[in-house]
Amino acid sequence: MRTSNLCADIGYMSINHAGESLCGDHVEMIETEDRPSTVIVLADGLGSGVKASILSTLTSKIISTMIAAGLKLEDCVETIAATLPVCSVRGVAYSTFTIIRIVASRRAEIIQYDNPKVILLRGGENYEYPVTQLDIGGKRITRADIALQEGDVFIAMSDGVEHAGVGIKYNFGWKRSDIIEFMKTFVPVGFTAKTLTKILLDECDRLYDGQPGDDATVCTVKIRARNQVNMMFGPPADRADNNRMLSLFFSKDGKHIVCGGTTSTIAAEYLGKALVPDLEYLDPEIPPTATIEGVDLVTEGVITVSRVLEYAKNYTGNNSDYEKWSCGQDGASKIARMLFEDATDVDFFVGRAVNPAHQNPNLPINFNIKMRLVEELSEQLRLMGKKVKVSYF
Amino acid sequence: MMKITICIGSSCHLKGSREVVEGLQKLIARDGLKDKIELAGTFCLGKCQTGVNVLVNDERFSVSPETVEEFYSSAVLPRLK
Repeated sequence: MRTSNLCADIGYMSINHAGESLCGDHVEMIETEDRPSTVIVLADGLGSGVKASILSTLTSKIISTMIAAGLKLEDCVETIAATLPVCSVRGVAYSTFTIIRIVASRRAEIIQYDNPKVILLRGGENYEYPVTQLDIGGKRITRADIALQEGDVFIAMSDGVEHAGVGIKYNFGWKRSDIIEFMKTFVPVGFTAKTLTKILLDECDRLYDGQPGDDATVCTVKIRARNQVNMMFGPPADRADNNRMLSLFFSKDGKHIVCGGTTSTIAAEYLGKALVPDLEYLDPEIPPTATIEGVDLVTEGVITVSRVLEYAKNYTGNNSDYEKWSCGQDGASKIARMLFEDATDVDFFVGRAVNPAHQNPNLPINFNIKMRLVEELSEQLRLMGKKVKVSYF
Repeated sequence: MMKITICIGSSCHLKGSREVVEGLQKLIARDGLKDKIELAGTFCLGKCQTGVNVLVNDERFSVSPETVEEFYSSAVLPRLK
């Protein structure tokens, strides 16, 4: 059997019921290495605030742990029913849930209890997959088993998403079909799962007039091909290693980014091509890019990469800056798109040469800063779910 | 054709490459010299201490955002003969 070249890009976020500092929805994700599978559970606790948060956290933790351990669904549901604290006001223990289990990037199993049906956009169009109904301990549960295709986008949500705009912009909230039409326009752009999530939640927040009447959570799963991006940053500590570093770098599959003035100079020499810097300041704070035939992107070093790190931290946080880097033409935006959107695997080639001219305490671009940038950026990329390899020269 | 090359490397960038580039672009446009002077960028020239480094053909000058006009009238225009 051919191993699948596909992988899942997963992003989730929530907005809270107006006035609540805790979210009553919770998303839990577990990856198992041995039988490569990913289990994502989105739970929506009854009500809002502390009580709902406890219910949904317990539910998602219990289910994800049990499913990832290979236990039967029936056992999971029974355990939850037996464990969840009963609400003193309403007399029920209640949290709805959606489970998406992705096995070996080939199949997705979707199990849902009372949450809005997971949307699947396939080839940019809505795909209504068949579901079977189960009865487990009196709870009506649906189950679907889907063979994955490249480009599939799954959108799981809590009912707070469908209820957005009730009585404000719409009489009964926006319908599933409205959400599908809305998201269909953004999927072909190439946004990441996290950014698609952010776009949908921003729209919900807008429909709620910034005062959400319910917690709203979106989890997007995008099935995509693995794609490597290689980034070289700094010349090697020993000049004698120039050719070794460059030949290893250019022998890698995938796109190549070269960062830094001296670094791009030695890369151009190695390739026997001209290094042509641009003079256009597309972002006033970011130095212009350059071109070398055979290199996908050539930029300045520390200042540009510092900005990429800022974008990365924002992305793994509330992702409020995606509009800046997802369309900017400056070096930092271009690197951000290649690393955050295009790459699933990032290979860093980091040179430890110390630029004597940069060791001025008045300049924010010294050697230690460069090394710290690489470490922090790697950490952020790992948080995004990417495989990161760093080699020092 | 005269070629003016401005360093846009990290260090010179922090010392104001962008202002120097924009200053020169404005002055050249003002005097209608676009077809006589070519502006280009370069990465590090290895002289970061004296940035912003600017080459007029092959001669190196140290310019700052404050001295662009002076540099233009004292170094660029006389060499344009």
